[in-house]
Amino acid sequence: MTWIRRTWTPAEADDWTKEDVITMAASTLAYITLTIGFALSCFLLWYGFLTLAAGIVLTVFMHWVIDPKLKVISSEYEAQQKKYLLELEKKLRWEED
Amino acid sequence: MGALSLISTVTFTTLDWFWVITFLALMIFSGALFYRLGKRSESDFFLAGRGLPWWLPASSVYATHTATDTPMWVTGVIYKHGLAGIWYTFFSAWCAVSAFVSTRIFRRSLAYTQAEWNTLRFGGLPAELLRGWMAGWQVFMNMFILGWVGMAMGKVCHYAFGWPPWIGLTVFSSACAFYVLSAGYWGVVMADFQQGVIAFCVILIVSFWGIFAAGGPAEIVAKLGEMGQSWRLNPFHFTGLFTGDFPFAWFFTMLFIAILGGLGMGTSIDWYPEAQRIQSARTVRDASYCIWWGTLLGMIRNALWAAAIIGFFVLFPHIAHQKDYELGWYRIGFEFLPAGMVGFFFAAILAIHLSTVSTHLNLGALYFTRDLYQHYFRPRAPEKEILWVGRIATLVLLLGSFFYGMMMERITQWLIFALWLMAAGIWLPNVLQVLWWRFNGWGYLSSWIANLGLSWFVVWILPHQLGLPEGHWFRQDYTQFWVLMALGALVFLPVTFLTKPEKMDHLVKYYVMSRPLGWWGPVHREAVKRGLLPSKEARS
Repeated sequence: MTWIRRTWTPAEADDWTKEDVITMAASTLAYITLTIGFALSCFLLWYGFLTLAAGIVLTVFMHWVIDPKLKVISSEYEAQQKKYLLELEKKLRWEED
Repeated sequence: MGALSLISTVTFTTLDWFWVITFLALMIFSGALFYRLGKRSESDFFLAGRGLPWWLPASSVYATHTATDTPMWVTGVIYKHGLAGIWYTFFSAWCAVSAFVSTRIFRRSLAYTQAEWNTLRFGGLPAELLRGWMAGWQVFMNMFILGWVGMAMGKVCHYAFGWPPWIGLTVFSSACAFYVLSAGYWGVVMADFQQGVIAFCVILIVSFWGIFAAGGPAEIVAKLGEMGQSWRLNPFHFTGLFTGDFPFAWFFTMLFIAILGGLGMGTSIDWYPEAQRIQSARTVRDASYCIWWGTLLGMIRNALWAAAIIGFFVLFPHIAHQKDYELGWYRIGFEFLPAGMVGFFFAAILAIHLSTVSTHLNLGALYFTRDLYQHYFRPRAPEKEILWVGRIATLVLLLGSFFYGMMMERITQWLIFALWLMAAGIWLPNVLQVLWWRFNGWGYLSSWIANLGLSWFVVWILPHQLGLPEGHWFRQDYTQFWVLMALGALVFLPVTFLTKPEKMDHLVKYYVMSRPLGWWGPVHREAVKRGLLPSKEARS
């Protein structure tokens, strides 16, 4: 699946891209199919198991798409976090606009 | 308190009391174990030092939103609407989008609370007014929620043991306050993990017990067919496009609110406790996964309850009043589990109760301490003083919740209205504040003020003045949502355009730190111009 990007530089990962949109859609569908699929599977209905399986596939797919991007965003952001925390405390104490 | 008319014939054996006392001691002790960590700093007392792996706050998201009143509410909608009633619980689907949008943006802001975030996103007087208002409102809301779930515990104890409701309301919340006072958020999140595991296991056991008490999966399906009630297994059984008590228009509105609401912050009442869990996660990635997986666990729990309640319907199909059938899941546990297991079940109810109470005690104290006391009264207060104020605020919230709980019957209608206020007219501003650079603090503040008046007008005054009967299309909650959204926009959009944008310095600082989604072009270009972000040419 070359149309889904899985290697990112920190600057590129900070941008909002189609991978984010795909993740949002897959995530929403996964919630719906996992919930309904699980409830129907409790009654041993075949379409319940099918829906549940679709939900599991969507969940795996969602992680496959977004996890590389989230990892890069996190490692890049952590390097800046200490500076931002100092600014936050200054703002709390009315030392900075 | 209609359910108070029901009292079961539950008898506890010595083994049952053993389970209850052991669990209560374990929960309190494990929470209090983290006293030393909780007292290290303000960040530890309210955010566990921002260092938690995703699965810990995820368990807290799940445990917090599994309250004593949750199974009653889920039972009510499933018993009435069948499996389609599960969509009522689907409001939490805002996390499907939020986990990868607003969670990411909020975690990067590092704000302790949503009130603090207001002063990062907006500037000047409106930002300070918003911070003060939101902090006060959240202190009140947390106290109210504590009273609400405390009273639900009072109902359950009255049903199970015949105790007066005030005993269930006060005794267990007080026990919980012990570890919240001593260890702060460390105590909350560690106890939540344990309580979440216990609660999920017991929900699994009791729900399947209920399904098998009704004859098992195949038997339930067959019996529903014989009763002419097979529609109860159809999650898309609507009563019409706009007609009946479960129309498609309601379903569409709910999905719209829930899913697109994830782009914003504060579009759901659950955002506020979630915001604390987001900031306690050690990285942006951990924050995203804690919200996504914690919410999914809650949805699977709802699905389990739904299946059990359909089994309960097969056992007791003719219960007419909500006050009688809303205790259905509790009845499965108390009436069908064998002796010795009932105490285990009650211990899990305690776990469910304590996890919610602990969160709201600590969260309300956070808003009071960080956004009111520290920001407005004692900006240079030392850490030790802040921690003590946090503890005193926790205690005041606990006592206030007893007051609310005892008067809940009289104020419920008004407070549901207060929840409605928050959801309808400010839904769009809550999204725009994240997505649109030009939306300013005056616009957001005006939307809150306008919504206060408009909600009264649309929900109470107009239907009364026009003499609209119950069931009229204008009195449907989904209609009122759209009306309030449109009327609110007629106020906050002109206010936004007639007042100046936020200062570019302020916006650039926020943008570089948070990297929000949406229409931020002018701010992005300014950040590139200032050399704070790489240009396209530099990247290539």
